[in-house]
Amino acid sequence: MIMNIKYFNKLTELLPEPVRQFSGLVFLTFVVIFSFAILNVFFGQGDELVEKMKKEEARAAEANKLSKIISTLPSGILTFYETGDHYKLSKEQYETVCKITKIIPQRAVMGANLINFKATKIYTTNGNQITETFVNWDKEKNKCIAGFILNGSIDGEEEKITVSGEVLNFLSTGIDTRVYFIKNF
Amino acid sequence: MKMKKLIFCITLSFIIATSVSARKTGCEGNCENGFGKWTYTDKTTYEGNWVGTQKQGQGIETWPNGYIYKGEFNKSDWSGQGILIFPDGSMYEGEWANGFMNGKGKFTWSDGKEKIGIWKNGKLQE
Repeated sequence: MIMNIKYFNKLTELLPEPVRQFSGLVFLTFVVIFSFAILNVFFGQGDELVEKMKKEEARAAEANKLSKIISTLPSGILTFYETGDHYKLSKEQYETVCKITKIIPQRAVMGANLINFKATKIYTTNGNQITETFVNWDKEKNKCIAGFILNGSIDGEEEKITVSGEVLNFLSTGIDTRVYFIKNF
Repeated sequence: MKMKKLIFCITLSFIIATSVSARKTGCEGNCENGFGKWTYTDKTTYEGNWVGTQKQGQGIETWPNGYIYKGEFNKSDWSGQGILIFPDGSMYEGEWANGFMNGKGKFTWSDGKEKIGIWKNGKLQE
């Protein structure tokens, strides 16, 4: 081992000064990169962290976009039919509001249930619990479709009911928008 | 001095505003046995007759999302003769039982189209 070191020292002495300096620089660079690679294994989250940051940025951008859209709408009931009482949405606004709306409040569910006996029974028995809600823009029909899925038993039999229909009015709270009337008849 | 006046005015306005909004919910009139209007926290209202704290007889129920029921109630359910107006202007006029269209009735869509028939638990019997 000692012989090897002595041989290495002699070899380096034989090399010209610029070559030795350059080799030292390359070695140092390698040591730095290698150290960071080791530190990254133990402390870094690498791709996962970048992915998280990207998602957060996308979420913030989306939230900003939505709040801009909502701020252009008046608070209260927004309709897509002729009425003198409430703000009537244009076709473009209707589509945009549909795409950003996620919430279906209890009154909208109860209204849709009015002509669905089984749905009402399950909804009441389950203590107003809904398995799933959805608000989708139907590209073919150019309509906003919303609904909800109810799971429960009626007369001992397990049933899964989907209640859905065209959304004809929304509620803008100033913070978000909600489905307010599902026309399912 | 000016600051004190400002704080006093803000506090007073807050108290007045909260009492006004508080008065908007609850009962106006007699909501036990008699005629009264009850406003729920979600702004649904019922104005009509009450028997033993239940909706009984003639009344009008208005939902904040635009549904309006005018007609007879039985133990707080829509029961008897009644009209339900949907938010878009569609309308059902006829018989009700247990909160559903049950019996003879006429459904009028917002475009004027009509359907008369027998209804069972909200469904038209073809």
